[in-house]
Amino acid sequence: MAQIGLPDNSKVKKGKYFKDKTGSKNLRKVNVYRWDPSTEENPRIDTYEVDMDNCPSKVLDILNKIKNEIDPTLAYRRSCAHGVCGSCAMNMDGKNGLACTTPHKEIDGDINIYPLPHLKVKKDLIGDLDGLYKQYQSIEPWLKSNSKSETKEIFQSKEDRAKLDGAYECIMCACCSTSCPSYWWNGDKYLGPAVLLQAYRWIIDSRDEERNSRLKKVADELKLYRCHTILNCTSACPKGLNPAKAIAEIKKMLATANI
Amino acid sequence: MENKKPLSPHIQVYKWHISSLVSISHRITGIINIIGITLICLWASLLLLGENSYEAVNLLLNSQIGKFITLGLTWSFCFQILSEIRHLIMDLGYGFELKTTKITGLLVIIGSIFLTIILYLIGKNLF
Repeated sequence: MAQIGLPDNSKVKKGKYFKDKTGSKNLRKVNVYRWDPSTEENPRIDTYEVDMDNCPSKVLDILNKIKNEIDPTLAYRRSCAHGVCGSCAMNMDGKNGLACTTPHKEIDGDINIYPLPHLKVKKDLIGDLDGLYKQYQSIEPWLKSNSKSETKEIFQSKEDRAKLDGAYECIMCACCSTSCPSYWWNGDKYLGPAVLLQAYRWIIDSRDEERNSRLKKVADELKLYRCHTILNCTSACPKGLNPAKAIAEIKKMLATANI
Repeated sequence: MENKKPLSPHIQVYKWHISSLVSISHRITGIINIIGITLICLWASLLLLGENSYEAVNLLLNSQIGKFITLGLTWSFCFQILSEIRHLIMDLGYGFELKTTKITGLLVIIGSIFLTIILYLIGKNLF
């Protein structure tokens, strides 16, 4: 049975309040989840007053501003700042997304920032994604060909290539998997939307010769069928992809295929 | 050290939207319906025991609580049926676009209330 509440060491306490020192009239309160691994304390919510007059448009800009100007101890992942690397995936205003592509204008009231949900926290906004990467590895996300001699390229028709659209663009930011309640309760066994979308991407690749064994591998009560079309994944995906549909397609293939 | 790491908040902070609401309601109404069907079976069996027990059930069903339970069960059945149809269509691979899921989700919620009202009016012989 899934544990709905948080364990005792994870209950979130009220934290520090950082009052504005710039004297700006245009302030916004930003509540950020903090946890310091060097102490024995519970996680806390620190509140920062941020001067919005001198802040660019995205949530990541707010975090950068806090780190650069208010509190350098804040830890979060970021790299490209253009929605390509997937590092700054986090939970903003109750929804997963990339901080670098989420405009803070779209958030009403105070801005609440948490790490991706239901992960072991390493520090502040950094969640532990090792489990997800192991699952990704388990679906063997590379082209498998049994042909003995590969001396020339493997051809793919434009139609077959088009099937990969909507699947290959995934940046593995984990927004979808960590938004999924099924993944929260069964994340150790259920593969989750991100990994299943990638499984689908290799199943439908016309150049891949291991289609049937790939299908057999995911055909599992826990690995695949924990998806109950809650659709948190699709509504969270910052790249506009549709993992829920990909999972439905895999289920459909399994229902109709003779393997 | 490993176990000291806290678990990040999940259901406590995640925002609800129509699809997740319909999905969780689908499960809850499923459980309610199983209890409901059991109650209906008990009610039917009581008919076999004669007029007195029938009267007792009749009294219960005509009380405020009885009416609430009856209406609630009617809604629960209506919701389950509509939501199941939505999930069946999804199992066929259709209706996964975000906009479509919102519309079908809303249709399920509004439709279930609408069906309940119609069934209530039919029950009251207003048609």
